[in-house]
Amino acid sequence: MFNIIIKESKEFLREKTYLFFFILFPILLVFLLGNLLNESDIAESTIGTVRIDYQINTEDAYQTAAIGSFLDTLKKEKGIVLKETKDLEQSKRSAGEDKIAAAVSFSGYPLQIQVFEGTDRVKNRTVEAILRGFIQNNRAATAVMKSAPDQLTGLKVEKADYAVQNKLKIHRSMIDYYAISMVVMIAFFSTIVGANAFMGERQNKTINRLIIAPQNRVSMFLQKICGMVPQSLLQIGIIMVVSVVVFHANYGANWESNLYLFLLFFVITFCMVSIGAVVGLVIKMNPFIVLMPVIWIMMFCGGSYSKEIDIKGISDKMPNYLFQKAAFDVAIFGNYNFANRIILACVLITIAALMVGAFLFYRKEEER
Amino acid sequence: MSSYVEVRNLTKKYGELIAVDNLNFEVEKNEIFGLLGPNGAGKSTTLSVLTTLSDLNKGDIEVCGYDIRKDKMKIKQLIGMVPQDIAVYEQLSALENVRFFASLYGLKGKRLTSAAKEALEFVGLADRQSMKPKQMSGGMRRRLNIACGIAHDPGLIVMDEPTVGVDAQSREHILNSICTLRDRGATVIYTSHYMNEVEEICDRIAIIDKGQMIACGTKAELVSLVTDVQSIYIETKLSSDTLELEIRKKLKVMPNVKAVAIEGNIIRIDLLIEQNSITRIIEQFMTFGLPIMNIKSEVPNLDTMFLTLTGHELR
Repeated sequence: MFNIIIKESKEFLREKTYLFFFILFPILLVFLLGNLLNESDIAESTIGTVRIDYQINTEDAYQTAAIGSFLDTLKKEKGIVLKETKDLEQSKRSAGEDKIAAAVSFSGYPLQIQVFEGTDRVKNRTVEAILRGFIQNNRAATAVMKSAPDQLTGLKVEKADYAVQNKLKIHRSMIDYYAISMVVMIAFFSTIVGANAFMGERQNKTINRLIIAPQNRVSMFLQKICGMVPQSLLQIGIIMVVSVVVFHANYGANWESNLYLFLLFFVITFCMVSIGAVVGLVIKMNPFIVLMPVIWIMMFCGGSYSKEIDIKGISDKMPNYLFQKAAFDVAIFGNYNFANRIILACVLITIAALMVGAFLFYRKEEER
Repeated sequence: MSSYVEVRNLTKKYGELIAVDNLNFEVEKNEIFGLLGPNGAGKSTTLSVLTTLSDLNKGDIEVCGYDIRKDKMKIKQLIGMVPQDIAVYEQLSALENVRFFASLYGLKGKRLTSAAKEALEFVGLADRQSMKPKQMSGGMRRRLNIACGIAHDPGLIVMDEPTVGVDAQSREHILNSICTLRDRGATVIYTSHYMNEVEEICDRIAIIDKGQMIACGTKAELVSLVTDVQSIYIETKLSSDTLELEIRKKLKVMPNVKAVAIEGNIIRIDLLIEQNSITRIIEQFMTFGLPIMNIKSEVPNLDTMFLTLTGHELR
């Protein structure tokens, strides 16, 4: 089992082109893009003041108290301006015109929260994070109210998760943005590594030697894919460590979220390797020529090279955009929900790709 | 079953193209069996099926008593393949390459290392085991290609044109190595389109053309098929392709002429040994108005035999 894994790792580490494209190049990009754009674009300052109009329409005393407590906490936060509105329609129009970040309505029992967002994605995400914190705490409050009403007075509404980064004094900059987007880019480049794993065997004609060996083909295919694991871990690890240690980039707010991000990046990378393996078994052309333009276009449209790239209806559909969003949710907002969904989706896609790849390799005949 | 390899009615198609058509042959244990034929004759396809690289459409193959359909894994374990193309990993050293391929056959630990080193020593690369293939000469790469196929000590070694593009010294080394493998107990199936190589090392030879068996036997047996034929070589000065075609056409229809081949300024005519047959050839040649610079006659060899049996040259 390990001979194929060792062989794959040796080939990767000795191939200078791979080392440049998959390790050195992304590190250079983190440094260059991060530093060049850092002065012109500080992540925190772009958010600016978040103005929210709200309206409360609930007669439930506990809900009203919980909302009130939450809003009081928020009002103490610098950069957030809350205003109670009597004309929700007017506030909705203001949100539509980006005069305010959002209009929020709290109504009914059980409590319904309606958010009318503006068009600023960053502010929208901030509003979502604020409300997510409230919803989580409100659920806790409801649970306590039902099981132990006497403890309700002792329940404090915690700060919303958006505040985590302020609490930890992390000053977010563009280098943080590129530290994450470059790992995502490298994950996508891994499709080329996956494709080359089989295309390389075909070009070397060594695939025939593998096919005639007295080994189970499915097992051999999986061994080759597992052979990509050490290099995937190495790639991600090196980029993350160098970005943090040398360029002082920030990923997660703490060890837990950094480890989670590492896992997220690894799952994405492995998924891309598996897809690449299938591509390498199907196409006859050089995978670099086939995949590289696709990846670059995707990276460009998905905002990996600049967060200013936002093509309506396209950018937010790009897989790299979704991966970056998941990573930023964890890194900035401490929110794991979307990242969990991404991990699950990647695992399912990986399993499907491995099954297809194993089938193709099982059926493979001589390469001439 | 007495033979080590038995091929019966083997047919292999690629779509509509019949690459191998009802082929039959047997290979005895400890013999070097040559498959001889021009490019596209079906040699590589035959080896491909025999080594389990592709499936056969019709027929039966047995290796060491194992049926290729039922006991594929057992046959795989017995076979060592030396492919026509050099199939090694450029980023791995010679020793790492041989070790890796041998490990696919279940060799492990010290046994694996010693088998890999022995294989390298056998092909004369013991002192180059740390060298990567890209640092090697063409001949050394060929020898490494052989080492990768034989390190696991296979009972049947299948070699598909292992000397293509190598220098004379490496070729000699490779041919000697193949004979040594046979002497050590291996059975070798060897394909080539170099007639002299096949003549030199093969115990028996099968002639294949257009996917079919033309003849099979020892060199002496094959040559005996054409003992009544002699080759006449006429050196002249050919001026144009048109003239070449005309000469070929006119000579071919002459009585007793079995085949005509032209290479440069030398025309080779295979004809039945009969009284005045050479005289008639020379008379006909004079009508072309070409000078005869040199003329010689040769007894039949495998080249003559191939040309006579197939009507065209080996290459």
